[in-house]
Amino acid sequence: MAGRRRRRRLRRFAVRVPQYVLIVLVAATANFALPRLMPGNPVELLLGEDANRLPAETIEKELADVGLDQPLLTQYGRYMSGLAQGDLGYSFRHRRAVSTLLRERLPWTILLVGTALVVSTILGVALAAFAVWRRGRRRDVASIAVFTFLESTPPFWIGLLLLIWFGANLKWFPLFGSVSVDRTTGLARAGDIGVHLLLPAATLVLASVGATFLLARASLLGVVSEDYVLVARAKGLRERTIAIRHALPAASLPIATSVLLRVGSLAGGAVIVERVFSYRGVGTLMLEASFGRDYPLLQGGLFVLTLIVVGVNLLGDLLYPRLDPRVRR
Amino acid sequence: MSRPRRLRRATRTLTILGGVTLAVFGVLALFGSALAPFDAGERAGRPFLEPSRDHLLGTDDIGHDILSELIGGARVSLLIGLAAAAIAVVGGGLLGAVAGYRRGAVDAVLMRTVDYALVVPTIPLLIVLASYLERGMRSQILVVAVLLWAEPARIVRSQVLSLRERTHVLAARTFGAGAPYLIRRHVVPAVAPLLIAQFVRVVSVAILFEVALSFVGLGDPVRRSWGSMIQFATDRGAFLTGAWKWWIVPPGLCVAAVVCSFAFVGLGLEERFDRRLARGAQG
Repeated sequence: MAGRRRRRRLRRFAVRVPQYVLIVLVAATANFALPRLMPGNPVELLLGEDANRLPAETIEKELADVGLDQPLLTQYGRYMSGLAQGDLGYSFRHRRAVSTLLRERLPWTILLVGTALVVSTILGVALAAFAVWRRGRRRDVASIAVFTFLESTPPFWIGLLLLIWFGANLKWFPLFGSVSVDRTTGLARAGDIGVHLLLPAATLVLASVGATFLLARASLLGVVSEDYVLVARAKGLRERTIAIRHALPAASLPIATSVLLRVGSLAGGAVIVERVFSYRGVGTLMLEASFGRDYPLLQGGLFVLTLIVVGVNLLGDLLYPRLDPRVRR
Repeated sequence: MSRPRRLRRATRTLTILGGVTLAVFGVLALFGSALAPFDAGERAGRPFLEPSRDHLLGTDDIGHDILSELIGGARVSLLIGLAAAAIAVVGGGLLGAVAGYRRGAVDAVLMRTVDYALVVPTIPLLIVLASYLERGMRSQILVVAVLLWAEPARIVRSQVLSLRERTHVLAARTFGAGAPYLIRRHVVPAVAPLLIAQFVRVVSVAILFEVALSFVGLGDPVRRSWGSMIQFATDRGAFLTGAWKWWIVPPGLCVAAVVCSFAFVGLGLEERFDRRLARGAQG
């Protein structure tokens, strides 16, 4: 039995992993092709706007350094093998390797997106369970309208209003940044990080809780009419026990899948929200890069974010059998 | 009253509400220049005026009337959203149809691209693409469309794949029907309702993308959209004074109202098509 199960898991692994590898390859190829396809001079795009003012031999030397004088296929090979070793190029604005820059900023974005994801999932599912147990009543219908409206508001606008109200007017929270410079140790620092995190994370939660709510509601509705819920009720179990022990586990599968799938849109929303709060994450870095026309940094940021999203999706795919016994067998 | 009936009635109310809101904004977008109290580019008063009878939403840092800017923004945001969605749905639909019809290598390449487009974090990609292009309305439309074609393409492809095996299509092919006839007679009618529902969904996303892009300063530098209004207001420190109440809140509310209305209309459309599809399957 165990052997067969392991073999099945291996087969699942063998089917899924290449698909994701392929997506990463497409992403890398798109990254390679973009500066070479886009209007404008690739020399400028890869070396910076000021490149044309340099003396000709310097340009040639720089080009040879980056490998732009080679045939396209050789360039592609060099690009891919560099990428495999974690080389994302060189940011001419910061005069540092793109990978180092990203490594500094990535933890902040992961903290922000991770917090928002966990909180919005718990909140969305709890609200949905509440709504389903009172379904059809006026408040249930109203909640659909309210959450659709919330889903329709631009996240950064919600963030701005939170910042204006709780930051500028009430002065409860700092107006920008992800940590203060003067608090550097232990508990004080952790608290400081938390205070800076709260508003941006709340923004992302507000912007994404609607989707979780609507999905969890739909999937709970599918479950509550099942026979075993009726049986549970006939046994005289309390409604809360039915909801938590019987309905939620069965409904959790599509919810879990959608949570993992939403990492992408959350990470995207975080980019803009980070700018509102001047949060020191990858998003702020990318937007700065966009204005400095620092293309290697921009593309490196995109590539790393894509990698993370693909990784999370793959994780979800591989965890799926553990959540769903029907697939495991 | 039973639950489904109440839900259906609520859906209808929401759909009508959405339709009316969209009609109002449509009129503003079409005839805004005649309806607005001032020209959006005109210095209508002193800068930083508070709301008054002359300027219902005050004036901005140059003295433009904010209400007139808001009305002008309706045209820009709606135009970009509609145009980008149209390109994405029609273009994506065509690609999907070709992939489903041709199958083989074409299909494989297209579908791997779709996989990528569905996974890639959209807003970062949006920023990267927009940074390469000239700032302007046309490139904004293009970039947003490029991000949204994948879902329609996938939907149409799976429809075409299933259609080509259905008996009535096989029968038509046996009688020698060519691709143009099959597409006109069988593919378009089957796919159209799906695409219309898709279009409504895509428009809302497109408008949100446009607003986000303009907010981070990657929009059209000349035409003021709702997103760039919020950006300018933030850059001019509107939240340190009280000006945010009439400078930042209204454009955001407009975006939310329009996007939400599209969602409500989509809800109604989906239900109608669903019922028709269900009946079609029975008969």
